[in-house]
Amino acid sequence: MTSNRSNTKGSDRANLLDRLAQSITWPRFIFALILIFFLTSILFPFYWMVSSSFKDYAEIGSREAVYIPGAFRLDAYRELFDPNHPNFWNFGSNILNSLKVAVPTAIIAVILSTLGAYAIARLRFRGKGFLLNGILLVYLFPGVMLIIPLFAMIARMGSTLGFGVQDNLPILIVTYLAQTLPVALYMLANYFRTIPAEIEQAALIDGCSRFGVIWRVTLPLSVPALVSVAIYTFMIAWNEFLYALVFLNSSAMFTMPIKISMIFNDPTPRLHVVMAASTVMTVPVVILFLALQRFLTEGLTAGGVKG
Amino acid sequence: MERKGQRPLLDRWGTLQAREARLAWMLTSPTALIVFGLIIFPVVFSVWISFHDVTLRNLNDVFHAPYVGWKNYRNVVNDFAFKFQGVHQWGAAVTSVVYTFVATALTVLLGLVAALLLNRPFRGRGATRAIFLFPYIAPIVSVAFVWRWILDPRPSGVLNDLLMRMGLIDLPKAYLATRGLALVLVIIFTAWRYFPFAMLMILARLQAVDRVMYEAAAVDGANAWHKFRHITLPELRYVLGAIFLLRLIWTFNKFDDIYLLTGGGFGTNVLPVLTYQFSFRALNFGKGAATAMILLAILSVFMLVYTRTVMRGSE
Repeated sequence: MTSNRSNTKGSDRANLLDRLAQSITWPRFIFALILIFFLTSILFPFYWMVSSSFKDYAEIGSREAVYIPGAFRLDAYRELFDPNHPNFWNFGSNILNSLKVAVPTAIIAVILSTLGAYAIARLRFRGKGFLLNGILLVYLFPGVMLIIPLFAMIARMGSTLGFGVQDNLPILIVTYLAQTLPVALYMLANYFRTIPAEIEQAALIDGCSRFGVIWRVTLPLSVPALVSVAIYTFMIAWNEFLYALVFLNSSAMFTMPIKISMIFNDPTPRLHVVMAASTVMTVPVVILFLALQRFLTEGLTAGGVKG
Repeated sequence: MERKGQRPLLDRWGTLQAREARLAWMLTSPTALIVFGLIIFPVVFSVWISFHDVTLRNLNDVFHAPYVGWKNYRNVVNDFAFKFQGVHQWGAAVTSVVYTFVATALTVLLGLVAALLLNRPFRGRGATRAIFLFPYIAPIVSVAFVWRWILDPRPSGVLNDLLMRMGLIDLPKAYLATRGLALVLVIIFTAWRYFPFAMLMILARLQAVDRVMYEAAAVDGANAWHKFRHITLPELRYVLGAIFLLRLIWTFNKFDDIYLLTGGGFGTNVLPVLTYQFSFRALNFGKGAATAMILLAILSVFMLVYTRTVMRGSE
């Protein structure tokens, strides 16, 4: 029995190899070559990030590159998180700051853009075109140009009302909202248009108010879109660098990107620690993305060009 | 048009419409307020700042800053970091334009190749597409620092290690600290990071191309190149143009990538980084705003082309 089975398996394999040899043609070979080129150039940096986070100081500065860390060392992670480590970076507090900024940004962006997108997708009103074009234009202004007047404006307001511009996380949330709302609005409005208006009209005829319709009909039908907008805005806030760099001043208030850049610029090279922190920051984003890949890629394309 | 047909019912329609419009404004006003308040007003204020002497000293009393006319602009244009001084000192304006155009072209080209690759059915296509998007979704800080570590000037940097093993160089090199080469590397990094965006857009368009055309071409004896040249490319022309302009604008505005890779040194200084340096390093906000206005002037040319072609075309 067993020998028989392995025999058929063997001939199967030979068959397979045969077929494989036949199927390798020049176009396929070139195709595979380009594919491998893309995959290595994309994946290698990520491999290098994760593997370097398990290296130690000696391996980072050795006389040649260490492609596989000598052991599964957690030195770099201990330096980030262990208060007893001599070079403790207190990275946990920075993760918390990033969450404190990114989670409210995502929640508020979803709420506000749901309301706005519903109006844009379903209601007719004067000034809609102006609003849409205005919001689209906004998308094209450079962040670095907006930050000077914003900084001056908020500094002026702060000195009158008595709050500090720097190290103020709510200010960061508001600026992130301004950056993410246009995209969120477009993604959601595009999605709402795909929901048949008849369903809502039926609810309206049955005596539902507009808010009732949004709450009971539109939202339950839009859960995937709402989740992808939330993840998308969360990711933008989580990754944002420039505004955090300008608005945050003390390392206890830093979000992760600024802290990582601070560790990178430390006079003693701490690349393994930088890579560990980068890994900690990148892994959740990649997992979130993979989990919601289909919705997110649809959102990305819908936010840009139609058809 | 519709309203005219319903003239007899105008009164009732009018109130219904008015109610709908009121609701619409109520729903959109928070978004409009945040977006316009934090973007449109700052743009206007930025123009004002660029004509005034605003530094850290009078930042708390910014509205009383002294008017200085075009002085900030003159300072920027005469700054060595800004102006073109020959082939070896491009200055931020020229570097910006060169960087933006070359990086955008490369981004779109890579996106096109990747999209054509993923448009063919093969096992594991879904997973490959997901992986192809990694550079675009990963945080800029982590990918920028990984690339800096790969290009590290020490012998433990990957590129140095590989080139030394192959015997191409004897001593490790500081790639990102070499004029010329640094700009090339920054361009490659930009294309590496942003090609997935172009790929997604092109892929979406490719999947809408009618298969019948390829079949007809095959019947006529067209080879793969002919099909690409005479069917795929014309079908993609509009989307390629749109992506090119959109990415051109976004790349021109980009601060993080170059700031994190080179800090704007070694012939890679671009206008967004220069704006940051003037305002938040030299703490001369007037000069920074003036730089930003020059950036915006160049950008508005791009924007004009964009709104003239893409936004009209999408209606």
